[in-house]
Amino acid sequence: MSAVFFLLPVALGLGGVFVLLFLRAAQKGQFDDLDDPPRRVLEDD
Amino acid sequence: MNEPAVAACPHCGTIVEGGGYCCTGCEMAAAIIQGAGLDRYYQTREKPAARPGKGRTDWSQVPVTEAEGGRTTCELAVDGLDCAACVWVVERVLETVPGVERANVSYATGRARLAWNRNRTNLPALCAKVEALGFRPRPLTAAPQRDHSLLLRLGVAAFVAMNVMLLAVSLYAGWFAGMEEAYVTLFRWTSLALATPVATWAAWPFYRGAWNGLRARVLHMDLPVSLGVVVMYAHGVWATLSGHEAYLDSLTMLVALLLGGRVLEQGGRRRAVEAALALASSAPRSARRVTGTTVETVRADELRPGDLLEVGMGEELAADGVIAEGRGAVRMALVTGEAEPRAVAPGDRVVAGALLEDGALRVRVERAGADTLVERLAAGLASAADRPTLPALTDRVAPWFTAATLVLATVGGLAWLVLAGAPAALQVTVAILVVACPCALALASPLAVAAGLGAAARRGLLLRSGDTLRVLARVDTVVLDKTGTLTAGEPVVVEADDAVLRIASGLERQSVHPIARAVVAEAARRRIPLPLAEDVREEAGVGIRGRVDGRAWRLVRGRPGEIALWGEDGHVGAIRLRDVLRPDAAEAVKELRGLGVEVVLLSGDHAEVATRIGAEAGVVEVVAETGPAAKAEWIAARRAEGRTVLFVGDGINDGPALAGADVGVAMGSGAASSLLVADGVVAVDGLKPVAAGLRAGRVVERTVRGNVLRSLVYNTSAVGLALAGIVNPLVAALLMPASSALVIGGALRVDAGVARS
Repeated sequence: MSAVFFLLPVALGLGGVFVLLFLRAAQKGQFDDLDDPPRRVLEDD
Repeated sequence: MNEPAVAACPHCGTIVEGGGYCCTGCEMAAAIIQGAGLDRYYQTREKPAARPGKGRTDWSQVPVTEAEGGRTTCELAVDGLDCAACVWVVERVLETVPGVERANVSYATGRARLAWNRNRTNLPALCAKVEALGFRPRPLTAAPQRDHSLLLRLGVAAFVAMNVMLLAVSLYAGWFAGMEEAYVTLFRWTSLALATPVATWAAWPFYRGAWNGLRARVLHMDLPVSLGVVVMYAHGVWATLSGHEAYLDSLTMLVALLLGGRVLEQGGRRRAVEAALALASSAPRSARRVTGTTVETVRADELRPGDLLEVGMGEELAADGVIAEGRGAVRMALVTGEAEPRAVAPGDRVVAGALLEDGALRVRVERAGADTLVERLAAGLASAADRPTLPALTDRVAPWFTAATLVLATVGGLAWLVLAGAPAALQVTVAILVVACPCALALASPLAVAAGLGAAARRGLLLRSGDTLRVLARVDTVVLDKTGTLTAGEPVVVEADDAVLRIASGLERQSVHPIARAVVAEAARRRIPLPLAEDVREEAGVGIRGRVDGRAWRLVRGRPGEIALWGEDGHVGAIRLRDVLRPDAAEAVKELRGLGVEVVLLSGDHAEVATRIGAEAGVVEVVAETGPAAKAEWIAARRAEGRTVLFVGDGINDGPALAGADVGVAMGSGAASSLLVADGVVAVDGLKPVAAGLRAGRVVERTVRGNVLRSLVYNTSAVGLALAGIVNPLVAALLMPASSALVIGGALRVDAGVARS
């Protein structure tokens, strides 16, 4: 069970990496337009 | 020695040895023009074109307005349009590009309005085409910088909330099943460490809102929220240090939910504001600056207060200022909504974006660039996107709520102090403050409003604020303009003499009125070159006068469906036009009447035409022959009777009516200036979005009321439990999400409600 002392920070660190990726994506405007890209996928040409 | 043969470059007029084109750019421009069968440009242009060059604008970054079915629109400025032939060639060349639906270039304002199918072409390609001809397209004022900070805070808060909740579940499980002290301590300290950035950084918007409210002596929803968060965090620090259960899971969850509501609400409003801005923003144009005896052309953003500008007829002012010399007629519809040009003389103030319809002026600059009135209006519009609206209902509840919470916490704390001593009293006081934190109440309105704005937007109506939705719910009278609103706004010339059409098109070519567009379009279709008109004066609602070929002409409304041309010797001829009803107008009117609102047609047109159109659309009450001012008066009279009026219109003439109604909605196809005063924009070609907007308003109003009731019931019962001493962190962790889920569930049904009703 004492592995928790090691695994908890590792898990949080791993999660933190994804949070940082999200922050970066948000700042670059990836989430600015959530309406058109899904519609465009359905268009053929 | 032989003199070498010289000839002018057929495109740009540069003298070239041996004849032919001066450069490949000109050769390509000519090839485009000839390939499109537009050779007439070379005969009708008043001066040679500029040599084509590559522009520096990255057009893929310029915002465009996208609508259903791939239709994309964009308005941009085009420099180098020196004559009507330039306008004509730009329009026609663009229209030969597959996928382009419309290319309108206004000679008067130097603006091009493009509509194309985004599946078949794009803005960079279209602009490259314009540049290849030797004209220089420029983007209009860039869209406001997006503020991502709420989304960033939400991302962090959501991540933390999920992890703290996981740790809390373990702790609660350990509470019942037993857990080694070392793990309990680890989990508690980890929770506190994770919750710290949420309680400080992520919750910052609520602290700021509460503080701003306090300074303005208003108690609004952010105050009890901040109070709850601060109490929970302070208690969390104390509990972790002293080895007690904390409310940190509730805290992080609450902040994440509230931020989620804010993000949704902000997104809904921003979409509307950006759409309006992209349509209406005024470009920093160039200006002619007078320095001593020289006149130089400079960019509008290079102007400084004190500069002297020269402004000619048909030009837009680049800065706010005072007239130093000259007289003229200025139309300031963009700012004041007034349609009629106003006569101005030295000493009068004029504003940037005003159009000099007549005369010549010298203007002393008072404010330039971002300080001009029109830029500040646009900036206000842009910042409105990032300012949370606090709809009236939750705002009215908030002060009472805060007061009641504080009183109950004090009374409860004192009672427990007397009955059970200090430690128990502290626990109860904290519990009251925690469960009283109005998470559900704070979410009640923004979530429903965001869902309502989204539901309206999907149906083609973009609203500027959530408050507009709430007013829409109360609307009982819908006033429709005729031209451009109930009708397609693009009347078609059905009968006209070539000679009459020629003079008329000359007079009308600077006008943006639909009739003018029809006349000019018909003239171009018949390949009648637009003659140059002088002293053109538009009389709003009456007609237009001016000089063509050295003679004076007047173009006025004649019999219904006709405009009549009068020369110096009397009536010359008439042009017959027909206004066609929008395809969905009758259905939209029926839908509006089905909602129980009174539908009225207000038209500046003759009674006969207005009645015919009204009958076709199914409108019972028709008020004809009302001018721009009379429309606003008519609306004011109805409002004085206690009615809530929605006005739908387009064009400059409707400015006062749009601003005077409870809710003013502009048709997106109308004049750009009307969009600055309107509360909403119909972004698609049609009237049905108006009915959808009314339905969305009503559903949202109902949902918000239901949500407020639900959250008040929750808070009351939770505070009761806390007073009884039953609430501990586990109970709070179960109660709070449950109440929020109720509210979120209500908001999720908004779109379905709009579709059903």
